[in-house]
Amino acid sequence: MDMKTQTRSTDPLPADGEPVAATRWKRERERYTDWCTLGFCILGGLLVGITVLALANITMAELADPAHLIKIATSSTVIESILLTFGAGASAVLLLIVFGTPLAYILARSRPSRFKGVVESIIDIPLILPHTVAGLLVYLLFMRRGWLGAPLSDIGLAFEDALPGTIVAMLFVASPFYINSMREGFEKVPVHLENVARTLGAGTFTMFRTVSLPLSLRHMYSGAILAWGRAIGEFAGVIMIAYYPFIISTLIYYSFTTDGIRASRSIAFTVILVSFGVFYLLRRMTRHLGRYDDRV
Amino acid sequence: MIEFDRVSLALGSFRLKEISLTIGRGDYYFIVGPSGAGKTVLLETIAGLHRPESGRVLLRDEEITTLPPEKRRVALVYQDYSLFPNMRVIDNVSYGLRVQGMRKKEARDEVVPLLERFGIAHLADRYPGTLSGGEQQRVSLARAIAVKPDILLLDEPLSALDPITQERFIGDLRRLHREDGLTIVQVSHSRREAHLLATRMAVIIDGYLVDEGKAGVVLNTPRSRDVATFVGIENILDGTVTANEDGHATVDAGGRTFEAMTDAAPGEEVSLCIRADDIILAVDGDRHSSARNTMTGTVVSVVENGPVAEVKVDAGVVLTAVLTRRSVRDLLLVAGTAVTLSIKATAIHVIRASS
Repeated sequence: MDMKTQTRSTDPLPADGEPVAATRWKRERERYTDWCTLGFCILGGLLVGITVLALANITMAELADPAHLIKIATSSTVIESILLTFGAGASAVLLLIVFGTPLAYILARSRPSRFKGVVESIIDIPLILPHTVAGLLVYLLFMRRGWLGAPLSDIGLAFEDALPGTIVAMLFVASPFYINSMREGFEKVPVHLENVARTLGAGTFTMFRTVSLPLSLRHMYSGAILAWGRAIGEFAGVIMIAYYPFIISTLIYYSFTTDGIRASRSIAFTVILVSFGVFYLLRRMTRHLGRYDDRV
Repeated sequence: MIEFDRVSLALGSFRLKEISLTIGRGDYYFIVGPSGAGKTVLLETIAGLHRPESGRVLLRDEEITTLPPEKRRVALVYQDYSLFPNMRVIDNVSYGLRVQGMRKKEARDEVVPLLERFGIAHLADRYPGTLSGGEQQRVSLARAIAVKPDILLLDEPLSALDPITQERFIGDLRRLHREDGLTIVQVSHSRREAHLLATRMAVIIDGYLVDEGKAGVVLNTPRSRDVATFVGIENILDGTVTANEDGHATVDAGGRTFEAMTDAAPGEEVSLCIRADDIILAVDGDRHSSARNTMTGTVVSVVENGPVAEVKVDAGVVLTAVLTRRSVRDLLLVAGTAVTLSIKATAIHVIRASS
C-alpha cells in the first residue's frame, strides 16, 4: 500500500473528531467563491427584497393597531367582497377549463399554419392590451345593447353591474394564462402514447381522458391557479362592465377614495393574508398531483 | 389479410407513393429501408393513424381505408416502448381491456398470465420509469398482446436493446409468431433481424416500395441495385454482358470476366451481386473446381467479427468473403497471402439495369 492510499484510507482524526481530509475540503470550499452565483443571488434578492419591504411596511402599519384591522377584516362588506371575488374567479376558471382545455388540445396537436398563428395571437390579445381596453372590449360586447349583451339580457342574463359581468371580464383577462399553460402541457405528451392508446381500442375521447389529460394534469393545475390569481386581481377590466357588486379591488379603490388610506390599507392587508393562505394551501394540496416519472 | 392498393399519402414534405403490398395471415412481414424512407409512416398507416390521400386499404377483403385505429384490431409497439408513465405495469398491460369495457379487477386478473409468460409478474406494481429497457419492452409487448390483436405492429423493437436482451426478445417474438400464429409486421433496418424472423418483406426507399416478396428472395435476389445495397449484399459489381448462351452469360465487370446465369443480352448493362459467404477461398493455387468463376488474388485485410472473419481480397476487383475464424487459422490467412477465389455461376445474382 503506497503512502497516498494509506493517508486516504486511514484519515487521522484531530482532537475534535473530524477527519483531516473533510476539514481540508471544508476549508477549500470556504475559500472558493462562485462570483457568478453570488451576483445572481444579489440581483434576484433585490427583486424579492422590494416585495418583502412592501409587505413589511404594510404589516408594521397594520399591527400597530390590531383592533382596527380586526374590525375591518371581520366586517361583512369585506368578507362578502372577498368571497364574491374568489367565487367569481373560480367560476371564470371553471369556464376556462370547460372551454379552454379542448382549445388548448387542438392547438397542441395541430400542425403549424397561418390560421393557427392567427388563433394563437387572438388568444394572447388580453396579455398585450391595457386592462382598461380589455374592460372596454368586454363592455361593448356584453352591455345591454351589445352584440351578445342584448340577446342575453332578453333571456334574463344581464352583465352590466352584475356578477356575470364580473365573471366574463375575469374570464377574458385570465384566458391566455390557462390556455397557454394547458397547451404546453399537451405538447409535452408524446404523440406515440396517444397512438398506442388508439390502437389498443381507445376512441379519441377515451384516449384524451385516459392518457393526454392525466399526463397534463400538472399544467392544468398551474394554469388554473395562475388564471385564478389573475382573475381575482383584476380591477380595470372589471369596473368597466361591473362596478357593482364590489369585488375586492373595487372595494379597496372605493375605500381609498372615500374613507382614506387607513381603511383601504386594512382591507388590502386582509386580502394579502387570505390570498397568501389560499395560494399556499392550493400549492400544498396539489404538489403531488399529476406528477409522474417521465424517464420512460 | 391486409392489402394496400396503390396507397399514397403526404405528411408535411414527406410522401408515401403508390404503395401496393399484401400481408397474409400468419406472415412475419418485415418493412425495411433506410432512415427517413417512410417505414414508420407505413406502419402507422396500417394501424389507421394516417388517412391515405388515394388508394385503398383492405382487411380480409373489406375496405378499411377510413376505419379508425380502435376498430382495426391491430396493436402497435414503438421503438421507445411508449408505456403510460402515470400507470403501473399491470395497468399499462390491462389498459386495452379496460378501454374496451372490462372492469378494472377483471382486466387485471386477465393479464396476470401474460405478465407471467413474459417474466414481468414481479414488476406488476412498478411504474415504467423504474424499469430497464428490456423490461419496458416486454411490458409494451405484453400490453399489445393483451388485446388479442389480429396484427401486431412493431416499430424497430430491438434497436434500443443490448445484445443479450435482443436475443431474448427475438425468442419472445419467434414464439409469438410460431406458437400463437400471430401475424406480425415489423419495421427494421437490420438484415440480421430479417434473416432470423421474416417470412416476407418489403423494401421502402424514399417513400417508394422498391421490392417485395418472400424474405429469402428479397434478401438474396434483390430486384435493384439500391435494394441490393440496402439488404447488405457485400459485393456488387457493375458490368456489361459480353456473351450469352442459353442463359449462361459472360460479364465483364471491374476488369474481370465473370460467368453468371441470366437472360440479359450481350451489350446489356448489369450489376452482379455476390454474397460474401458464397465466395470460397483456397491457398496453394488449387484451381480445380466445378465453380465457373475461379481467379487468383491477394488478401488485403482480415477482420474478425465474432465466430467469423471478413476477408477482403484484391483480385483485380476487391471482393469480400466471409469465412469461419477456424478456416482463417487453418489457411494461415493474413494480409498479403496469395489465394484462389471460387464463385459458382449460380451464386451470382444478376440485376439488369433495365429492371
